[in-house]
Amino acid sequence: MDHLAEKYLHPRKIPSTACSGCGLGQVHKKVLLAIEESGLGLDDVVWGTGIGCAGRQTFHTWRGDNFAGTHGRVYALATGLRVALPPEKKIVLTVGDGDAFGIGLLHLLHCARRNLGITVVVADNFGYQSTGGQFGYTTPPGMVTDSSPYGNREPGWFSEGSDIFAILKDAGATFLARHSSFDGEEAVKSLVLALANPGFSLVHIIYPCVTHFGAVSLKTRDREEIYRWFAGIFAEGEHPGPHFQSGIYHDARGKRPEFASALREWTKEFGREAGRA
Amino acid sequence: MKTLFNTGNAAITEGAIWAGCQVFAGYPITPGTEIAENMSRRLPEVGGYYIQAEDETASLHICAGASLGGLKSMTATSGPGFVLYADPYGWAIGCEIPVVVVNAQRVGPVSGITGAPGQGEFYFSRYPTHGGNFETIVLAPNSSQEAFNMTLEAFRLAERFRTPVTILADQLVADGWESFQLPETPEELASLGLGVVPRLVHPGPDFYPPSDAIDIPPVVLGRGTGAAASDWTPTEEGYDTEEIEPQMWHAHRLVHKILQHRELIDRHEAYFLEDSPPLVLVSYGSPSRVVRSAVRQARAEGLAVGAIRLQSLWPFQDALFHPKTIHLVVELNTDGQLVREVARAAKGETHFWGRCGELPGVSELLVVIRDILSGQAPRSMPGQWEAW
Repeated sequence: MDHLAEKYLHPRKIPSTACSGCGLGQVHKKVLLAIEESGLGLDDVVWGTGIGCAGRQTFHTWRGDNFAGTHGRVYALATGLRVALPPEKKIVLTVGDGDAFGIGLLHLLHCARRNLGITVVVADNFGYQSTGGQFGYTTPPGMVTDSSPYGNREPGWFSEGSDIFAILKDAGATFLARHSSFDGEEAVKSLVLALANPGFSLVHIIYPCVTHFGAVSLKTRDREEIYRWFAGIFAEGEHPGPHFQSGIYHDARGKRPEFASALREWTKEFGREAGRA
Repeated sequence: MKTLFNTGNAAITEGAIWAGCQVFAGYPITPGTEIAENMSRRLPEVGGYYIQAEDETASLHICAGASLGGLKSMTATSGPGFVLYADPYGWAIGCEIPVVVVNAQRVGPVSGITGAPGQGEFYFSRYPTHGGNFETIVLAPNSSQEAFNMTLEAFRLAERFRTPVTILADQLVADGWESFQLPETPEELASLGLGVVPRLVHPGPDFYPPSDAIDIPPVVLGRGTGAAASDWTPTEEGYDTEEIEPQMWHAHRLVHKILQHRELIDRHEAYFLEDSPPLVLVSYGSPSRVVRSAVRQARAEGLAVGAIRLQSLWPFQDALFHPKTIHLVVELNTDGQLVREVARAAKGETHFWGRCGELPGVSELLVVIRDILSGQAPRSMPGQWEAW
């Protein structure tokens, strides 16, 4: 076990129950590296998880305070928790693409609107893989999955030049970054900035699913081939799948008041004024 | 003690403030909106937070999250919003998080009529979420004073049992204006038989005990205890598990922590039962006020009739109902809900007077009472009910 696991994780949950060859462990590790680099300890972070591969595999790995939310509503739970906790307690949520960009999108957008002080890490494996591999909102068009046997016919959040980040930015998010699970220091750096943001941060990290997406959509179980395909998403040049730019998409840290802190300060001021009146 | 002339919604608000509620998250919906409005005004005065949620699913999730962070919380809605609570209601049951839920029932189905009373969520309040393996606590006020009292009681039960508690009111109780006593000191509060249970914090990290004990502090995050709150089947240490034995203990605890201490929950009012009359009317909420008048008048006419008013609905109080008594159940719905439980518990002759949207008249009930007592098939029975 490496020092991060010893420092932060429940030994019983390591190694994780994720499929062999899954990229989620790399995403998980980057979050821990960023927590360490930010000088945060077990008492400084409350860790919440959603449902699906990303939520289930990271749940209760954190040895500090932690919780598992309902599917897509962990953002609303975190809203209440944020109001209850002092601002120095970081709230980190590890969720999947279906959780954030499907069932939970309404609540996620309202967290961005409020600039709620949470760090959302969307670990994206291009669909619903824990239920056997159905298409989601980041599954590239045309891809064969178990629920799109003739190819995915639905526009996604990245189809036709669109990007869910544009919507999140307009909604009021103050830090947005995107990476591949193959990114090293750059991804950790983005996560460190996300954690330092008093407001709403979201870091989208795409990672390879070798079990369902690989076997069904990419039609190969060859891990190297699958990893090359995923690496190609962020590389220069032609790629049969989507193309993304790695790095910080939007950085407006400190430009908008954080919701819960502002509410707390206003309430205190209200009390002082009422006391004077 | 101050006398206020206001709505049930205002009484619920004041009850929540007295109970130490610090977070209210809600979504506007008639006839529960006034609770949100009142809380948005009152909470800042006591250092609490009003949050207007994006929908009712978010409302109760936000309340559950705030409670998980150590703040007592409440939300309020009506039927169309209550259905959206199903997801977080289950989460709070499973994670054993105290929270108070108000449902001011209006007539349904679905949107129905916003300004007319209904009693369509009797069963739904028993099964407010999926999955089974739990008991729920549901209280039913019939006046502004009782709405105030029961809100305090709901907070007390929520803390002691570590679970959501529903106050199942109706539009007439919520919107109806009447006088109620508002205590101004803890002594005055105690004189009404009411008290406040403070939020305690479980020392963690292990929480889920294989026990049906109550008065165990709930999990609170952010205190560095290493505690976990999980909607997955937890082991005693809080890990998620796919093993059946911990699942059985979990289900056992959720059911029996309530059933083993139901004397703290069970509440009813009895009228004219001293001489064991052959006919007893059964009701809850606003119809019970008409029932009380009808039974008083029937007694004045020399008719042997009594009444039971349920103040707590769930767990259901089977022991109140006897097979040799004829029961007439009066409800604000035409399909019959409470009547089914009364018939099941009593195992005797049971009649149903049900109408949706408006209260029965005293004279209408008197006709039915006289018919039943004279052995005739009762006339004027608007609701249809067939035993399952």
